[in-house]
Amino acid sequence: MNSDCVVNPQDRILITGSNGFIGAKVVEILLENGVRNLRCFVRPSSRLGRLEQVLTRFPAGKGVEIIRGDLLSREDCRKAAGGVSIVMHLAAGIDKSFAGAFMNSALATRNLIDALLECGPAKRFVNVSSFAVYSNLGLKRGEPLDENCPLESAPQERYDAYGFGKLKQEELVKEYGRKHGLPYVIVRPGAVFGPGRKTISGRVGIDTFGFFIHMGGSKILPLTFVDNCAEAIVLAGIKPGVDGEVFNVVDNETVTSRQFLKAYKKVRPTFSVRVPYFLAFTMCALWERYSKWSNGQLPPVFNRRRCVAEWKSNRFSNQKLRDRLGWEPRVKMKDAMASFLAQFE
Amino acid sequence: MLRVAIVGCGKIADQHVQAIGRISDCQIVALCDRELLMAKQLGERFGIAKCFSDVQEMLRTATPDVVHITTPPRSHFTLGKQCLAAGSHVYLEKPFTITAEEAQTLIQYAEQFRLKLTAGHNLQFTVEMLEMRKLVSEGFLGGKPVHLESHFSYDLGDTSYVGPILGNREHWVRQLPGQLLQNIISHGMSKLAEFLGDDLIEIVARAHQSPLLRGLGGEEVLDELRVLIRDKSGTTAFFCFSTQLRPGLNELRICGPANAISVDHVSGSVIRKENRSCKSYLTYFVPPLRVAGEHLRNARRNMASFLRRQLHQDSGMKELIECFYRSIRTGGPPPIPYREITLTARIMDEIFAQIYPEKETKRNAARVGI
Repeated sequence: MNSDCVVNPQDRILITGSNGFIGAKVVEILLENGVRNLRCFVRPSSRLGRLEQVLTRFPAGKGVEIIRGDLLSREDCRKAAGGVSIVMHLAAGIDKSFAGAFMNSALATRNLIDALLECGPAKRFVNVSSFAVYSNLGLKRGEPLDENCPLESAPQERYDAYGFGKLKQEELVKEYGRKHGLPYVIVRPGAVFGPGRKTISGRVGIDTFGFFIHMGGSKILPLTFVDNCAEAIVLAGIKPGVDGEVFNVVDNETVTSRQFLKAYKKVRPTFSVRVPYFLAFTMCALWERYSKWSNGQLPPVFNRRRCVAEWKSNRFSNQKLRDRLGWEPRVKMKDAMASFLAQFE
Repeated sequence: MLRVAIVGCGKIADQHVQAIGRISDCQIVALCDRELLMAKQLGERFGIAKCFSDVQEMLRTATPDVVHITTPPRSHFTLGKQCLAAGSHVYLEKPFTITAEEAQTLIQYAEQFRLKLTAGHNLQFTVEMLEMRKLVSEGFLGGKPVHLESHFSYDLGDTSYVGPILGNREHWVRQLPGQLLQNIISHGMSKLAEFLGDDLIEIVARAHQSPLLRGLGGEEVLDELRVLIRDKSGTTAFFCFSTQLRPGLNELRICGPANAISVDHVSGSVIRKENRSCKSYLTYFVPPLRVAGEHLRNARRNMASFLRRQLHQDSGMKELIECFYRSIRTGGPPPIPYREITLTARIMDEIFAQIYPEKETKRNAARVGI
């Protein structure tokens, strides 16, 4: 940490979702940078393997406070937010239903912010969102997608509960910013990958029907390695002068879905069938139409909005992240891929 | 046009809204949730403008004909009474109430107000259950059922459901007398209650915790249940709830004095087993072919339903709601006889008293003021 930050050494930083894939890495980076006053908030049912692994690697890890609780409980939120200056809010709803996703994303965030504001002025609230909030329906293929891209206006039609939860969470954070002066920053990571997460992004394709369907081929993936993503979140929490800003997080070097799948297949032989984008779009449009015609006999899991959001070929910019937060990837893509693939060996 | 309101806008409410949307001559006029944001998110997605956080205000303002209560079960009794008192018919999600006593009181209350109640036992109204009921009414079994078996399994592999329950002792599911089981087994139990008499002579319940749940940190929560039941007329029933069975089982078997019926919810099938003997080695060839023919018949029927756009995954809920609304309009009997609702609750009370004796002791102590 240098002097160019909003954090003082005595400031307490709260990290929600700190036992998660990205959260544990955020804790690691903070400890690496000498931040001592950390409070980690974890679900009561969480096994803390990932977080404990990080904490044992640093002498200061012993002093990290761990609070177990449920963000849907206002009382637990008060315990978490008491005496905190900075919040890095990574806890995410994993529920597949819209109501569940909304509860775990928007309601949980509302409770946390209310508790934070009750406890006194906060210096920064970092809301970790997702690329799932964007709608590139109006973007042409190959056009860049940056922070100015329109947000999804019909999440129900897209049938994406996670994206809906994240959208509502963002709306709420912005509202608290407007009405209560909450100093927030929104971070929207692309497809986060790395050791510790063995699944491959749905942006590469799907294995719904018992084999892998590779959607498109030459499209660029909005990949960000977990260390690089965590670094961006930490910077968003400490850099001054970025209140109310939104940052997309993608790595510098581009990887197409074909390149990614080829590398993956070397360590995990997988049978896959490639479906060109135009065919994927046609099939999604037909599925959506059938779903409507049959009054939901088949739910609209495949639809045009989802197709363009996940499989249309767009370019992704991290210019703002680099310019405003001074972010540079800690790990180069070649090493990131090697590290991701090594977990399968 | 029936005016419908939904109280409780959590996960199951989506299913209700979608099912109601497929029924003609009714309209959702209001949504209510203690957490207003929950009502609003549902309203926004389905175009329902009136959202409330106070049930009394909703009842006063929206004056619904029917209220669907889809809240956690602890609130069912109180909310049910409030809605009945306001003149609304009530659909209560399962489990109907916490105890049989509450169920009986609520039913009396509804009868007193000349209003109708139903329980969310929607699996009773799937296509295959309707066919089974038709066969039974036509006398296929050859008399009163001799023995019933209900198997019901639940996959805990997706921890998004069980995780929050296990992680929080205060979670509403943990507060139920039967905990996890109480929130799930009424579907399987109500199928038995339909064919059992009211005078039960014997209920023997045994439960334990699966290694899977233990591994997830299940503490005192039980997830493996076996129950034997016998009524006064001699009909016996076996109930099995498991989180470990693979492939998942969701079946009802009814054995009569002449023939038997097997209903499989997983594949939407009804298998008729007729008492037709075969000579000599034919007994190894003909009966399997007959069963194969039954499976083929089910596949054909399901395919035809799919092509007619009638194979919705929650078809049971739509059918139950439709029957309930019809009974309201015509003044006919409710789709699930009150006897069955009460009997299901009575059996469940007894099961939980046997498998969680400490909780029962505490409840009794509280009742007598110790």
